[in-house]
This record gives sequence, C-alpha cells and structure tokens, in this order.
Amino acid sequence: MTRIRTENLGGAVAWILHRPHPSVQGLIRQLGVIGLEVREAWPELPAEAIGADFIFYDADMGHDEQFPWAPGQSPMPMIALIGSEAPGRLKWAMEMGAHAQILKPMSDKGVYAALLVARSNFDRANASEALIADLQNRLSARQTIVRAVMIFVMKGKTEAEAYDLLRQTAMAWRVTIETAAERLVANHSNERGTDDGRRIDLA
Amino acid sequence: MYAALSRASREGVLQGVREVNADPRLDVSFRVIERDPEGRLDRYAPLCREILQVSEARHIFGCITSASRKEVIPELERFDGILWYPVPYEGFEASERVAYMHSCPNQHLLPLLDWALPTLGARTYLVGSNYIWGWEMAQIARERVAAADGQVLGDRYLAIGDTDLDHIIEDIRALKPDFILNSLIGDSSYAFLARLSELKRAPEFAHRLTVLSCNFTECEIGAAGDAAEGLISAGPWFEPDGGTGGSFHEMARQSVHELALLLHGRPGAEGLALAEVLNAAMRAGHAPRLDPAHLHARQPAIIARLESGRFHEIKRLPALRADPYLTHRSQTSHGGSMLKVVS
Repeated sequence: MTRIRTENLGGAVAWILHRPHPSVQGLIRQLGVIGLEVREAWPELPAEAIGADFIFYDADMGHDEQFPWAPGQSPMPMIALIGSEAPGRLKWAMEMGAHAQILKPMSDKGVYAALLVARSNFDRANASEALIADLQNRLSARQTIVRAVMIFVMKGKTEAEAYDLLRQTAMAWRVTIETAAERLVANHSNERGTDDGRRIDLA
Repeated sequence: MYAALSRASREGVLQGVREVNADPRLDVSFRVIERDPEGRLDRYAPLCREILQVSEARHIFGCITSASRKEVIPELERFDGILWYPVPYEGFEASERVAYMHSCPNQHLLPLLDWALPTLGARTYLVGSNYIWGWEMAQIARERVAAADGQVLGDRYLAIGDTDLDHIIEDIRALKPDFILNSLIGDSSYAFLARLSELKRAPEFAHRLTVLSCNFTECEIGAAGDAAEGLISAGPWFEPDGGTGGSFHEMARQSVHELALLLHGRPGAEGLALAEVLNAAMRAGHAPRLDPAHLHARQPAIIARLESGRFHEIKRLPALRADPYLTHRSQTSHGGSMLKVVS
C-alpha cells in the first residue's frame, strides 16, 4: 500500500549525539516540526539508542567509543553533523557510516532532506548487503550441485544423466535440488573417509 | 502570468494596513514600502535585500510562487527580516523567518481528495504548472489516490504562462477521468478551463467532468469567465457576499491584522524573532493564528463549488493545525506514535 511518503517519519525517534550547544537548537526545532521525537546524548549514546530510527552525530568531536555498535554497523540511518571539513574528520565520519550529512551551524534547512537521503542510502546499503549474501549462498549452492553431479559422473553416468538423477533424488526426498546436492556431497565424503586424498576438481 | 493573484494579495495587504492604521484601539501603525519584482524570479532577492537594507521595515508581505519564496529566504536570514506569505503552498518547509498564513496540503489537498475520491470516483487526472507547486501537489495526490485504491490516469505539466493544451485535452477526451486536479496557475489555468468547458459539451461527457483546485479563488473568476463554472475548490475562506478578492485577498488582509495584534502593547517586538513574539502573546492569553512551533496558521478546510459566479460551500472542516511535513496525520490515524508504519 502506498502511503504519503513522509508518514513513517511521524513519531520516529532521533537521537542527537552532540555536546550541548546553541546550534543544536535549530536541529531540535526542525526535527520536532517534522514530527520526530528527539533525544539528546553526550558524550555517549546509551544502549537504548539501538532502537532509534535515526542518529545525528557530531563529526567534529566524535570517536568510535561513543557508539554501542562497531563503526559502519549502525542498525539505523546515521547523519553526520559536520563543522570542520578537514579530511581526517570526514574520514572518521564516513567510517562511522554516514548515510547523509548536515553542515553546521544547523538551521531550519536541510534537515528533512538529510532524513530522507539517509533513510534511502541506509535502505539501499541493506538491500545491497542482502543481495550479496543471497548471491554468495547461491554461488556456493551452485558449486555443491556441480560436486554432486561429479559424484554421479565418477560412477559412470553421463553429465545429462547425472543432472536428471540429482533432480529425481531431490523429488524423492522432497527437498530442493540444492539441499539434495548438499546431502549427496556430505554422504559421499563420509563414505570415502577423510584420508581419501582424491578431490573433485571444481574448476 | 498570474497577475490576478498578485493584485488580490497586494490589495489585501493594503486594506489590512488601512484598517490597522484607522483602528484607535491598536498602538501600532504601519508604513508601506513597496517593491515590484514583476514576477521575475531574479528580482526577488535583490528587492527583498533593498527593503531590509535601506528601510527600517522588518516584515515583508508578498511572494506568490514557492520559487520566489525560496529566493527571498536567504535574504531574510542575512538581513533579519520576516516574510508574511499569505497564499496556499505545497508544504515541506518551515523556515523560522516565514509566517505561512494561508494553508498547506493537510488543510487543502488532503481534505479535498478525501471528499472527492468517495464522491466523484477514483479515476483521476493530474495537471499542473511546471514548478514545485504543480509537482508536489501531483506527488501528494498520487500517493493519496493510490492509498484509496484509485488510479492516476495521467499527469501533465505546463510551463507557467504556457497555453498549448492540445495534448492534455486529447488525453482527457480519451481517458475520461472521474475528476481532474488542476494545479495550473494563472493564464495556463484559464486556457485549460476554457478548453475543458468546450470538451464538457461533447455528448460523450454530458457535462460530467469535474475540476478540482487548491489555488483557484474568487480573484480569478473574472479572468477565467464562465468556463470555470462547476469548479470545486478547497481553501480556508470563501467570499460570503460576492467579493472578488477571495482567500488571496482575505489571508493577506488577515496577515496584517495578525502582525498588528502581535505587536500591539509590546514595544520593540518588531525586532524579535517571530516564534518569540508568538510565545509571548500566548503567555499573555492571546490565541494567535500562527503556531509558534512551525509558524503555520491554523485554518479551516472548506470545499466549495463555483455556481453562477459564486462559491457555494459543500463541506467545512473546523480549523486544523497545519502539518507541513504530513507526519502528524499518521500518528492520529495509526494509533499513536508507538506504532511504526512501514511502507
């Protein structure tokens, strides 16, 4: 169902990790206007911040230990608050996992854009990671299938017969071809023992 | 291009100033300094700066398009001015230096669609001027229509002032939408309404082609002529006695009164931040139109149909708090802030 695009920002929780400073007021005001619940922390984010929808963090005075997660592993979109554009500070802000940034002094400008850009980048990064994990799984499953087919080939089947046999086995066991291949390969290794020395060349 | 709107807005401000200056109960009076950017986008910032630099004026009334408003905001920030912006806009802004005195989508477009979708049908067609107002109105409408399981049959945009409408009229003839959301402004809008009134007479339509608008008011009836008959508009105010200024005139007039009430009895308040003045007024027991949190006015949402040259009210929602980012609505309609909505 399509919703007004901003609907899921209403009531979202944002933590601001920045030392108390007048320039933070503009950011707090704007987040409130947009409809978020704002919480502040300094010098460390408490563990409960793991449940936040957004984190705004100071790129000028920040360091790794302020966060209850490893650099780049935030479970939510992160927005860097940048004053100094020195490369060292920017490098740290990026390693921390900035999905968007706002330049200081913070005002009524750029906050909504940062929220939307950060969420979009965060979602895209997550989708990419999920896709990579899925492709890695499939790649590894593909290798297992090739190994299972080779087992049949070594027993004298043609490649076409071997694939057909694997398919029939999977149907008989009521599992996917990948799972059947995994079991066949595992059984085969057990049968032959670990000191066999013969390997199936997968290349 | 959209001179009728500017004229209504300007006359509303001048009337407001005359009324305030003639009111012996108020201890404020206004002096008017005028600059005319002639609708040319590159003239807004320099003229805004000129007013703030060469005069003592701090409060500027004006701007019709969002593009022009965005031009002046940096000048307001730099030279400490406040813009009173008394026309409808598309939301998604909350400058600390702008008093948004008309209405935004939760006060015009959403009530209008909530009425139109069940009443007229859900096959919709969107047309608008090719700038932020037209684009964002279409975007919000698109999401609203989709959420109601309706269909957007098409959306088209015309450059401001453009009246080349053949392709749009052909589209509408072929698609026969239940209603058209018209976010064209000025001459484009009048030309569109004229072409549409021809089309409506075609036997296949038999006058069943409804046009909706959130920016058409009484101040454009003269320019659009009879072709506008039957148009349904949403806004905070419609003329009760056949006046021709509409809400563009009235909100401009009310903006001047709002400022006068905020400054009355508070010497020096004209130099303060607007939010500060509003908070002080509220502490003193007043109920200003503007919300100190985001400087948008509370407004009723009125839906009215143009018949015989007058708008007649169809539906009225009581004064609503503005929700410029369309986020608060979700909290009320989805069971409070604890519930996260995922799309």
